[in-house]
Amino acid sequence: MGPRKYLASYGETLSFRRKLLLVFALTVFFTVAAVSLIVSALARRAFQKADEERAAALVSQFRNEFNRRGADVTKRIDAIATSDSVARMALSVSNGAPDYGAYLNEAKTIADAQQLDFLEFTDSEGSIISSAQSPARFGYKEPAIAGLSPATGLFLKKEELADGIAIGMFATKAVRIGDKPLYVIGGRRLDPSFVASLELPAGMRVLLYQNVESAFSAKALSASSGALLEPEKLAPLIERAQRTGQETSEILHWTIDSADDEKLLAIPLKGLANEPLGVLLVGSSRRTYVDLARRIRSAALLVGGAGIIVSILLSGWIASRVTRPVEQLAAAARQVTEGKWNAQVDSKSSDELGELASAFNRMTRELVEQKEQLVQTERVAAWRELARRLAHELKNPLFPLQITVENLLRARQQSPELFEEIFRESSATLLAEISNLKSIISRFSEFSKMPQPQFQPVQLNDSVRAVTRLFQAQFDNREKGTIECCIQLDDHLPTVPADPDLIHRAISNLVLNAMDAMPNGGDLTLRTSHDANAACVEVVDTGTGLTPEECARLFTPYYTSKQHGTGLGLAIVQSVINDHGGKITAESEPGRGTTFRIRLPLKHEAPPAPIQTSGMFKQIS
Amino acid sequence: MKRIAFLFLAVSSLCLNADAATRPHYGRTLRVSLLARPTSLEPIQSLAPTAPQLAELIFDTLVSLDQQARPQPQLAISWSAEGGNRRWQINLRPGVMFHDGSPLTPEVVASSLRAANPSWQVSANGDSVQIVTDAPNDTLPAELSLVRNAIVRRDSSGKILGTGPFRVNDFLPGRKLTLAANDDYWNARPFLDSIEIEFGISPRDQLIALELGKADLIEIAPEQIRRSTADGRRVVVSRPIDLFALVFTRDRQSAEEGRLRDALSYSLDRASMRSALLQGEGDVAAAILPLWISGYEFLFPAKQDLARAQQIKSGLKQSSPWSLGYNANDPVARLMADRIVLNAHDAGLAVQVTPNQQTDLRLVRIPLVSLDVRLALRGVALAADIPAPAPGGTTLDQNYQVERSLMDSQRITPLLHLPRAQGIGVTVRNWQRTPDDSWDLESIWLATEKP
Amino acid sequence: MSIIWQAPTISTHVAGTAGFSIPGIANANRHRPTFDNGSSFAIYNSPFSFMSRALSLSRTALCKLLVIFFLLLGSAVAGVDWTQIERDLSAKIAGANGPGAISLDLVNRASFGKGELDSIRRSLITQLSTLGIQVVKPDQAAAVVQVSLSENLQDYVWVAEIRQGTSPATILMSTARRATAPVLPSAHAPAITISRTLLWSQETRILDTAVVEVSGAPGYLLVLDGTGVRVSRFESGRWREEQFLPVNHVKSWPRDLRGRLVLRKDHLFDAYLPGVICSSTGGASLGLSCRDGDDPWPLSPDLSAFFTPNRNYFTGGLSPGIRQENSVAPFYSAVPVPKANYTLWVFASLDGTLQLVDGVSKQSLSGLGFGSDLAVVRSTCGSGLQVLASSNTDNATDAVRAFEIPDREPVPISPLLEFAGPVISMWTENNATNAVAIIRNLDAGRYEAYRLSISCGQ
Repeated sequence: MGPRKYLASYGETLSFRRKLLLVFALTVFFTVAAVSLIVSALARRAFQKADEERAAALVSQFRNEFNRRGADVTKRIDAIATSDSVARMALSVSNGAPDYGAYLNEAKTIADAQQLDFLEFTDSEGSIISSAQSPARFGYKEPAIAGLSPATGLFLKKEELADGIAIGMFATKAVRIGDKPLYVIGGRRLDPSFVASLELPAGMRVLLYQNVESAFSAKALSASSGALLEPEKLAPLIERAQRTGQETSEILHWTIDSADDEKLLAIPLKGLANEPLGVLLVGSSRRTYVDLARRIRSAALLVGGAGIIVSILLSGWIASRVTRPVEQLAAAARQVTEGKWNAQVDSKSSDELGELASAFNRMTRELVEQKEQLVQTERVAAWRELARRLAHELKNPLFPLQITVENLLRARQQSPELFEEIFRESSATLLAEISNLKSIISRFSEFSKMPQPQFQPVQLNDSVRAVTRLFQAQFDNREKGTIECCIQLDDHLPTVPADPDLIHRAISNLVLNAMDAMPNGGDLTLRTSHDANAACVEVVDTGTGLTPEECARLFTPYYTSKQHGTGLGLAIVQSVINDHGGKITAESEPGRGTTFRIRLPLKHEAPPAPIQTSGMFKQIS
Repeated sequence: MKRIAFLFLAVSSLCLNADAATRPHYGRTLRVSLLARPTSLEPIQSLAPTAPQLAELIFDTLVSLDQQARPQPQLAISWSAEGGNRRWQINLRPGVMFHDGSPLTPEVVASSLRAANPSWQVSANGDSVQIVTDAPNDTLPAELSLVRNAIVRRDSSGKILGTGPFRVNDFLPGRKLTLAANDDYWNARPFLDSIEIEFGISPRDQLIALELGKADLIEIAPEQIRRSTADGRRVVVSRPIDLFALVFTRDRQSAEEGRLRDALSYSLDRASMRSALLQGEGDVAAAILPLWISGYEFLFPAKQDLARAQQIKSGLKQSSPWSLGYNANDPVARLMADRIVLNAHDAGLAVQVTPNQQTDLRLVRIPLVSLDVRLALRGVALAADIPAPAPGGTTLDQNYQVERSLMDSQRITPLLHLPRAQGIGVTVRNWQRTPDDSWDLESIWLATEKP
Repeated sequence: MSIIWQAPTISTHVAGTAGFSIPGIANANRHRPTFDNGSSFAIYNSPFSFMSRALSLSRTALCKLLVIFFLLLGSAVAGVDWTQIERDLSAKIAGANGPGAISLDLVNRASFGKGELDSIRRSLITQLSTLGIQVVKPDQAAAVVQVSLSENLQDYVWVAEIRQGTSPATILMSTARRATAPVLPSAHAPAITISRTLLWSQETRILDTAVVEVSGAPGYLLVLDGTGVRVSRFESGRWREEQFLPVNHVKSWPRDLRGRLVLRKDHLFDAYLPGVICSSTGGASLGLSCRDGDDPWPLSPDLSAFFTPNRNYFTGGLSPGIRQENSVAPFYSAVPVPKANYTLWVFASLDGTLQLVDGVSKQSLSGLGFGSDLAVVRSTCGSGLQVLASSNTDNATDAVRAFEIPDREPVPISPLLEFAGPVISMWTENNATNAVAIIRNLDAGRYEAYRLSISCGQ
């Protein structure tokens, strides 16, 4: 079956199997989808909660680590304060002006040994004696000393270095030897390397924003790991943390990929005088959560999809199992409709379908039997009709023949003088009637000798024009009323493969038929058109019209509603159109005229096998 | 009893000095470690700028300056001037040989001097050399004592030859130089047989080499003198002979800028730089030349006067911060630069330390090339890329005026005068201290460590 | 044509003007300036009347001589006359300031003593007053004058800074620097001490000296250096140089040049230098005849030793030898110590050890603190013969100590006699009662020849 035919046959309606399959599939699909959605939503909620708990744990871990570092700084400062070298320095400070030169590199050396980034020794006035981070700063005041109290523990401080401003985590200790104390102030720099050195759990990172300028500056932002592609996205969070002075958190969408989302906790860093120094951003990546969610979604989709496919296959199998007897029935029914009356269905099952199949088989058997009876009946009827027609046709000329012969006989007997004249007249009549008989016989003979079409491209418009030209005189010169002929031709009508003579004849027959249908004149319209598959010729008259019964028998050979005619005209038309693989239909209402519509395929195809009925006609002819 | 006392004396003297005898020993090899990496033995291009002390070992000058900066005969035995000190006649020492045995001739001397001084007209004149200068040059004999004017001869293969106490045995440019004693040296063969000089050795590695006895002579940075001495090393220190200075790379563009430069100069705390950053070594520099060379350094102010600096700055606006460049290989320079920034900041001036080459200010260490005042000033001017002072008289007052004009140009702000120091091994004997820190290696000798 | 500099043939030290090192001298100093506070002023030698005595001096005589020496020395040091420069400076101040009242501040930036500073101040005030300038207190002064006394490498620098109104003026003047006096340690007299007498001082390296006695009194002083022999006559209490006998030689001298003067009977003296032997010639007018040769240098009347021509030590070869021993390890110096039946020779070896050789056995001693120069002197103290040995220090100063060797073990018998510089040479004089020590005085930057003798204490 070609696709066009398939579409033509099945495009508009779904087969039972498909319906069944569709029902099964939809049921499974919606069931699986609903289950997946519910499971996914529940799982997402559970994981989101777990992720939040993880982020909180990470932040807590970071705080512990941060505090541990702070404690480490304090411990190291304590160790420095109790060292001998610092005791000597304290003694020197206590004794008067220290020798800056002697201690120039002292802080640096000790800081290196203690792995501190910042270390300064100052006297009681805050004058730097030795500085690790800025050795050239000796003698200058360390402003933090003024803000220190004995209770000062770990604190944050801004440190101006040669290469910029740095924030440090500081601890201090006073060494008291003699009258004047020596202050030890040291710490670690809060910079990327510091935060990078923090033992952070996977998926966590720390960003440090240092208050270098009043407005947000991307340069002041440094990350412990990974590059910051769009640091300005952090600006609102940082500014909020700075403005409120409170910890604040936010989920940032770095890219359209939600796996790049990051939950950021902004912790404002403040100095001794509560001045904002910067913001520490603890970021925990949502990638794990998003990846997990994605995996769940993928798994759900995979399982759902696989389930649907499996269910469709299963449904298909089941549907095929269920619908096979029905399809067989349908196929058998189609065969029946196509004329294969003896179609049978395998009926092995004993269920309802088995019964149905048995019933169908019974039905077809009975149908064949009834059809044979019907054919026989129709054949008899046809023979009767033929006999009637023949009798009728032949009786009409025979009756004058009989009369004429009787007249001749009578004339010979009664008026031999007139016989000659009568004989001439009668012989003329006889010849005329005999001719009439021959004509009748030749028409029957012609019908039986319908030739096979010789296909060639035919422009139907040309055929229509030729026919109208042929009949134009007859349209105009009628006794009762003229016929107005109107031609509506499709300018883009493609050619069709056809036998031009046969087509001409068919259209002529239809025109003749129309003329006969309009004895008192009327309008005759010839119209051509086409669609994707076929070209159409319509012959529309405004004649007497036909009853439905007449329509049903219209193309039956030897049927005619006319007083004169063999009833073969439309039968010939149908025969021609059938031979071209086309179709002819008629629409009519009594009193409103009739429309004959011929559809000829644009591409030549073998004509369908003649149905048995045509065989009957052949037999008849 | 007397005998016991004397025995005690003997033992105590033994404890104090367990060295070898004082009479110099001939022989042995002196091992020297240097940071510099001279790539050529050319006195002008490579050796004089990077390791002038080495040039003096291989090459001789016509004249040398004695400890009072008076010209003394060297390869020249006498000289005289004519035409208002424009035309000089130099009489050469007879019998002097180059290291390849070729004689020192007036032609060779003239060729060597011409190469070093294109502006001079130098010609051989019998047994002497005649030098004609464009303008009267009172300091020409002193100028002949500069290492750049050492007498050099190139043999046919292009090899550089000198007449100095040591001849080149082997030279790996930038890596190692081996010198051997010149047995026929006109001024007596050195005690040492040879000298091995390794180049490009970091100060730390030099110290280690000295400690391990793998080097006999190393350089010691001024700021390390104190510690090295405290650690018991033998350290010899010259008089302050290097100038640490701030140099403006262009002339002042306006009177206002000149005042800003004044403010910077007043803001500088040179005393702290000296006492802390240089560990008390060297002297605060008020002028280009130290007092011991010029005698009048105190006429220039050097003391920090922050109030004055602030007062000068108060009415002025600095258009943009001054960038300050320094030698990144010099650890003290970085500290000095940082301190200058702090000092300037106190005065309201903005100075930014930068490693870039193109800067407004440069922190430089300029060696004084001569004990002669005029030559030293000219050398500093050349090194700082300041127009050199015009030649003129050499009286005290004239010298002062020349230095004053250089200072008034405000292109150079002296900070410190620094000594040079060397660490010498325990076996090195007879190290001669020279005011210009030249190395008298031909006079030293090496003792056996344990007789 | 103006001669700027001409190498002098004879040092000008006696004239008291600037002296120059002499080209061609194989001294260790190669004309490179060595840093010290030395000056170019010659130190006049004291008139050593005691030199007429052949034997050791009495303490009284020594004290007298020392007093005379210090008096002369004092006159040399304090005899700097600042009058001219004070006058010139005052005139310039007056010229710049004009008559009026000034305050005068004197700042010492050089090595002036306080007394000297006061003297200069007084003198300046006097000079200024003669020019119509009155020195008053600062609050009464119209101008402030600060006079700084500074110094540079060559000169004393006198700087007057005149601050009057807004126009400060600066006057710079210079005057030649004075000589620095050699520092001599005070003489004290323990039991046995080494006495020293300065014979000669010059800028170039002295190799040896010899005093020629004429009729039992010091008549001439011979000073050998790398260029020749200076002959000085003792006149009016001081040595006056009479003649310079150049040593002609072809090859350049080795570094640490050594030389030996030996007085002879048939002619005045022989001078031994590495690879060169010179003999005095002539009668009234002395001459010097030199020849290349490696003749052994006399170590004593009985023993000579060969000297390495291009080095600073003896090869070890002996002539005629110590009994059977005609060679020892190379050495710097050697002295004989006569014993009862033999002579014990003490050699100062190159490696710092002492070798004792008697012709039968050899003994090596180390770690005794002996330097490389030995001499022997006869005295009336102890065993009558003491070995003088330089110290083995590497210090800036050096010292000589007297030893006796009773049992082949040197025993120090005197305290150290310290010098202001290393002992670069020490030889036994011909008569063996004295020794000559050549010192390089690091303070003065000069070479000094001392006669050493043993003084017996109580």
